[in-house]
Amino acid sequence: MNAPLKTADLRASERFQMTAHQDGIAKGETLLAVENVSLSFGGVKAITNISFDIRKGEIRAIIGPNGAGKTSMLNVINGFYHPQEGTITYRGEKRSQMRSTDAARQGIARTFQNIALFKGMSTLDNIMTGRITLQKRNIFWQALWHGPAMKEDLEHREAVEHIIDFLEIQHIRKTPVGRLPYGLQKRVELGRALAAEPALLLLDEPMAGMNLEEKEDMSRFILDVNDQFGTTIALIEHDMGVVMDISDRVVVLDYGRKIGDGPPDEVSQNQDVIDAYLGVSHD
Amino acid sequence: MSPEFLYFIETVINGLMSGVMYSLVALGFVLIFKASGIFNFAQGVMALFAALTLVGLQTGQVPFAHLINAIFGTEIHHFGWELPAAVAIAGTLVVMVAFAWIFEKLVLKHLVNQEPIILFMATIGLAYFLEGFGDLMWGSDVKTLNVGIPSGGSFWWEDVTKTWAAEGSDYFGMYIDVLDVYAAVIAVILVIALTAFSQYTRTGRALRAVADDHQAAQSVGISLRSIWVIVWSIAGFVALVAGIMWGSKSGVQFSLSLIALKALPVLILGGFTSIPGAIIGGLIIGVGEKLAELYIGPLVGGAIENWFAYVVALVFLLFRPQGLFGEKIIERV
Amino acid sequence: MLYREAGDFKSTYAADQQTFPIRSERMLFWMAMAVAFIAMPLLLGAYPEGSTYWVKAILLPFLVWSMIALGLNILTGYCGQVSLGTGGFMAVGAFACYKLMTAFPDLNIVICIVLSGAVTAGVGVLFGLPSLRIKGFYLAVATLAAQFFLVWMFNKFAWFYNYSASGQITAPERTILGIAVTGPNSAPWATYLLALTLLFAFAWVARNLTRGRIGRSWMAMRDMDIAAEIMGVSPLQAKLSAFAVSSFYIGMGGAMFFSIYLGAAEVTEAFGIDKSFDALFMVIIGGLGSILGAFLGAGFIVLFPIFLTVVMRDGLGWPTATVEHFQIMIVGGLIIFLLIVEPHGLAQLWRLTKEKLRLWPFPY
Repeated sequence: MNAPLKTADLRASERFQMTAHQDGIAKGETLLAVENVSLSFGGVKAITNISFDIRKGEIRAIIGPNGAGKTSMLNVINGFYHPQEGTITYRGEKRSQMRSTDAARQGIARTFQNIALFKGMSTLDNIMTGRITLQKRNIFWQALWHGPAMKEDLEHREAVEHIIDFLEIQHIRKTPVGRLPYGLQKRVELGRALAAEPALLLLDEPMAGMNLEEKEDMSRFILDVNDQFGTTIALIEHDMGVVMDISDRVVVLDYGRKIGDGPPDEVSQNQDVIDAYLGVSHD
Repeated sequence: MSPEFLYFIETVINGLMSGVMYSLVALGFVLIFKASGIFNFAQGVMALFAALTLVGLQTGQVPFAHLINAIFGTEIHHFGWELPAAVAIAGTLVVMVAFAWIFEKLVLKHLVNQEPIILFMATIGLAYFLEGFGDLMWGSDVKTLNVGIPSGGSFWWEDVTKTWAAEGSDYFGMYIDVLDVYAAVIAVILVIALTAFSQYTRTGRALRAVADDHQAAQSVGISLRSIWVIVWSIAGFVALVAGIMWGSKSGVQFSLSLIALKALPVLILGGFTSIPGAIIGGLIIGVGEKLAELYIGPLVGGAIENWFAYVVALVFLLFRPQGLFGEKIIERV
Repeated sequence: MLYREAGDFKSTYAADQQTFPIRSERMLFWMAMAVAFIAMPLLLGAYPEGSTYWVKAILLPFLVWSMIALGLNILTGYCGQVSLGTGGFMAVGAFACYKLMTAFPDLNIVICIVLSGAVTAGVGVLFGLPSLRIKGFYLAVATLAAQFFLVWMFNKFAWFYNYSASGQITAPERTILGIAVTGPNSAPWATYLLALTLLFAFAWVARNLTRGRIGRSWMAMRDMDIAAEIMGVSPLQAKLSAFAVSSFYIGMGGAMFFSIYLGAAEVTEAFGIDKSFDALFMVIIGGLGSILGAFLGAGFIVLFPIFLTVVMRDGLGWPTATVEHFQIMIVGGLIIFLLIVEPHGLAQLWRLTKEKLRLWPFPY
């Protein structure tokens, strides 16, 4: 699967660091906190009064049965849904809602439960779109291309190539993503999110529908991202084995409420959590 | 009552009448959209084609006469017999059903899983094809269509309304075309029949199921393809009715296909999926257009009928993107 | 043999992302350009009597429509917003050009055309605003509002056509380096060269815009708008810039259509809704989201009726009306056929042909 790489290149991508979103928050301090957030659609309550925080540098898992409000929670964090109540504090700035383009500009990137790649574009172009917020040349420079716009584009191309190396997808660089198998599409989507050099990476079921081997690969990438780039990660996952292995802290949702929060082994002993997963009736 | 107020009422009534006509065309759009998710741009041309075929059958025209003459150097035009209106209508209906069947076989079948916008563009292609085909088959000259629906102003109504005006004012009564009244009545019957069909029959239920979810409908044993043939046949029938009404009113010619353009704002207003929306949208556009022409038209130089409906629909959309009767869309990722 | 890639290695990212990555293709392109820019004008200049037909009936319509198709392809092919208002935007370009030409007689015609594009870009943004709220064919219908409203406006307010009795606009004579390029005395070769130069320059710009950040943000908006927004692509910027750029091209196309190609125009006749459909067909047939597609589509729609007329009317002696009906029918049928077999149009067929050529004469 690995395309042969010159050693010099390999070293270069190992040295590659994500520096686009420096925020001066030390490892272990709170990067993002949601407080008393509630979200409803019409009369349907998706999230009820949830609070939790994500610390810089950790891998935070959000788990819960289907329909617990996990994806809605991610949507609130990156500004796609706007909660009716509560506040979101990101990098010390408190607000009642995020705007999705703002969230992207301030270093929140994500992947999606049902792959949301740009089907008509190649792997390379898909990952390049991840850097849109980092590219600054205006339309007039772009129209001329040769000169500043091209120079900028090539710099970003180099960064993207590091990510392509990192994810080991060199061989599909120019393939339209629509033609790729599911597992690779998931990986390209991770690449697109990584290309933004995010401070906070949201992963919505990164391993759904994968076989054991693919799950192991994906877990390794997630741990490597966290380790090599120091990226804070919040992920939704159903595979408890994976969650227990790779996450630092876990928050458990059920019917839009928080029923547990803490380190994996502690949460797995929590009676409410066990009930929720075994389907004890709510009344 | 003052003449001004009576003019106002007359405008509203005429607006309602033309609104019914718009609804009739819009109905064809809604039917196809609901059952197959296709925005059928060719609906107007289908009406034209139906009307052309009807006239052709009725007057005994030889199909493709121009082409045959051009190739073989002959001079044929008509068979020399005329068909009664009812027979010609039945014949046209057969043609429209055959058209639906062929279209499903040759086109729809192959476009099943394409994006809606590709399907939309395919129907623009269909509109062109059908227009060329219709002209080639029956000739592009303006034809008069007469299936026995009375037309012309109603003297009775004129006399009745004349008495409403205040004494001594020079008011001559309202003008209402009898044809419009028939059209309105027929449209109402058609809507009731279609609603009943889709609510109370087995096929109607299958139709609604397909509209909701193709795959789920297929999984319970509904044949997608026969449903499509049925829907396009019904749309062909609605097009025929619209073609008869508009054709009797203003002759059968190319401009008849442009009524589709009139119906589009109606759809935006009423939402693509709602039959009542098509009716009420049509009435709103019909009345709005006539009133605007009467009151706003003179201020800006007139002839605003062409775009006024669009602007109304557009402004409306900005506030309610899902249309009058559409449901609010919650986007998911 | 033409597409020999073997040994054509790329060692820099710049070499990897150029427009014609294969050396032989690059050479072929520049050779074609040399013919178009040097040999063709010389030939047209040498045979003035025959050149009028070629320029007026084939070359100019092709060049002008290519410009328009480029514009619509940016909006529809790259950004995914279907527009049926092309005719209206062409009219804006034409009338802006007319007003500029008559108000500032000393202004160079090239500047007039570019400024007309800029005016149209503004109008395009205005009519593009609904795209922020509505999608798909709702938007397509909304753009019809632009078509009908704009044509009505240019028809109704005499100021736009300088109160001329016929309601027509007529292009006055303008020269470049002393050679007439508009008006009745213009030399066919000069009009051709002017149109070609403009098209070449702006096709290059279109290529630049579509390969960088802006192009990617358009395509992201087209393929998955929600994901694009979450990646930080502002729908406002992406969609409105697509409307602006697209209208800029269509406006310039309209200006060229009127000033260089037709010479005189009446709005309802020259810029009706059929023009909107023609442009859309060009983009579909040529290939959505392809610069090359714009040229192929324009070429097809311009040449096809001429071809049919030559074969059916001149060859078989059929009446003109019958030929026209056939033409409409075949174009419509072709649209459907292409959408079924190759939704990416002629450009994709060309790409596939190239793939085959790479292996020729020894396929697997």
